[in-house]
Amino acid sequence: MGPVRWTWQREPSPVVGTLVGLALVVLATVALVPVRDDASRAIPALVLVLPVVAAGVTGGRIAAVLVALGSAAAFNLAFIPPYGSPDIDVFEDAVAVVVLVVVGLAIGTLVAQEAARRRTAEQRAEALRTLNEQYEIVQAEREQLLEETTRLAVLEQVDEQRTALLRSVSHDLRTPLAAIKAVASDLREQVDYDDATRDDLLDLVVEEAERLDRIVANLLSMSRIEAGALQPERQAVALDELAANCVRRLARLFKRVRVELAFPEDLPLADADYSQLDQVVGNILENAARYAPPASVVRVGGRAVPPDRVALTIEDEGPGVPRHEQTRAFAPFARGKGSTGSGVGLAICRAIVEAHGGTIAVEEGLTGGARFVVTLPVHRA
Amino acid sequence: MPDPTDVQILVVDDEPAILRAVGAALRTRGYTVHTATSGAEALDYAVRHPLDVIVLDLGLPDLDGIEICRRLREWSTTPIIVLTVEDAEERKVTALDAGADDFVTKPFSMPELLARVRVALRHRREATDDPDEPVLGVGDLRIDVAHHAVTLAGVLVDLTPKEFDFLALLARHPGRVHTHRTILQAVWGPAYGTETQYLRVYASQLRKKLGDDPAAPRLVTEPGVGYRLVDPGGPDGRAGPDGGP
Repeated sequence: MGPVRWTWQREPSPVVGTLVGLALVVLATVALVPVRDDASRAIPALVLVLPVVAAGVTGGRIAAVLVALGSAAAFNLAFIPPYGSPDIDVFEDAVAVVVLVVVGLAIGTLVAQEAARRRTAEQRAEALRTLNEQYEIVQAEREQLLEETTRLAVLEQVDEQRTALLRSVSHDLRTPLAAIKAVASDLREQVDYDDATRDDLLDLVVEEAERLDRIVANLLSMSRIEAGALQPERQAVALDELAANCVRRLARLFKRVRVELAFPEDLPLADADYSQLDQVVGNILENAARYAPPASVVRVGGRAVPPDRVALTIEDEGPGVPRHEQTRAFAPFARGKGSTGSGVGLAICRAIVEAHGGTIAVEEGLTGGARFVVTLPVHRA
Repeated sequence: MPDPTDVQILVVDDEPAILRAVGAALRTRGYTVHTATSGAEALDYAVRHPLDVIVLDLGLPDLDGIEICRRLREWSTTPIIVLTVEDAEERKVTALDAGADDFVTKPFSMPELLARVRVALRHRREATDDPDEPVLGVGDLRIDVAHHAVTLAGVLVDLTPKEFDFLALLARHPGRVHTHRTILQAVWGPAYGTETQYLRVYASQLRKKLGDDPAAPRLVTEPGVGYRLVDPGGPDGRAGPDGGP
């Protein structure tokens, strides 16, 4: 319970109040009768107010008025000569009755008001408590609902991502498959192809099969990333060698564009997982090959970033990535305008680079094309 | 048959691999092939050069293929064959309604695409010749439009008037797909268009009466899209949905 309250805890009871008051009247009278001739008449008059107050406090207005009348009678009988007889001194008795009744009424009214106030306060407190309880219940329900809504939203999002992934994967897989099926079904026809065309078509099948292989590799990485199983096995990696190998491997993609590799002699070694980094560079190069206009140049380079980083840059002369899409480009399934890719490749790049404690970003290159910058920690011997 | 080098074909696809494959196949058959990698480029080329067939990928990066069909149809009657990777029948129907003449679903076989190209070229020639042939022929099927009589290898086939109209409509453009809506409106009337269940019933009746081999039917169902009438023994007969034997 709260702090002690200076109010009566019980409702005023007229019967109890009257009895208590009258008992006090008798007590006071008995106590004061022996000294009634020595003292001023004001003393019994004042003392007899006390039972009225007590009755008012414990019994309310009715008890106070009844005891006031009792006090007045006792005063008349016991303290106004001739003692013991109900001689009426109109003035003195009237004053005593009026004063006592007024005091009784005042006290009783105050007590009644206090009781009413207390009742109201209690009702309010009760109402508040009920409200509070209801509020708490509602609050709890609200929190539960909110939690469920969030969970549903997350599930929905996962579902949407799954659908988006499936859609983009089937699109990605079908495009090279369509080329392979078209060529293979045609070659079976025993048509008289000239040697150059036949060679070109067979090349096409090989290229598209390699593309399928890269898509499958990306999908495997994606599932590893989702499962949280992407753990780089770090070693010292020479970025110039890795880039050169990667370009050689993807040479078929760069028939129409020229790739220039330019690395400083003293480029620090990167601390990275070779095959994972190879995939990052491969994805960015494939991206560049897709957007670079014919006969343009794709520039691959590197530089030290003091104190403890090394950067790899790949820049094309294509249309570039608009500023507002530069962050979004690495989100899963984000496909740039005019893109025919699935939007999975760059997301994988980011996941791999971040697993290395590195950064990846795309910015505007010198010719307005896309410049991808990957920074990685330097390998410490 | 005119010299195929006089035949100008525009192939539109944003995938260089598809352009290379389709381009090589068409060129080797003697057609003159032009390529475009975007919708804008395709429209630009089509405005400046006379074309006999347009092979158009629906999933171009800059313009929706259906929109390209619509724009081409504002001034051109050149047959359009759309290529689509989507299984969504709705897209195919929308493309056909927007003016495309036929569709091929990726991954497609080259013989299937070549058959569609031949069908489109034949219709283009026929459209400029005599559109109202009194007797239509598809393989050993003869349809005498004037006398409402159908013979199969010389034997009379008894058809109801609706069955006859259905068959005659498809026979007027052999090998070409007709959408459900086109058939319903031509045979049943302009108030129809969604009652594909009628078509299923009539197609099944027709197949029975024509003694169609379920493995290689004359009346081919294009699921969700419509029907086409082919000659199973003819050069384009295997140009069904699977496109190969």
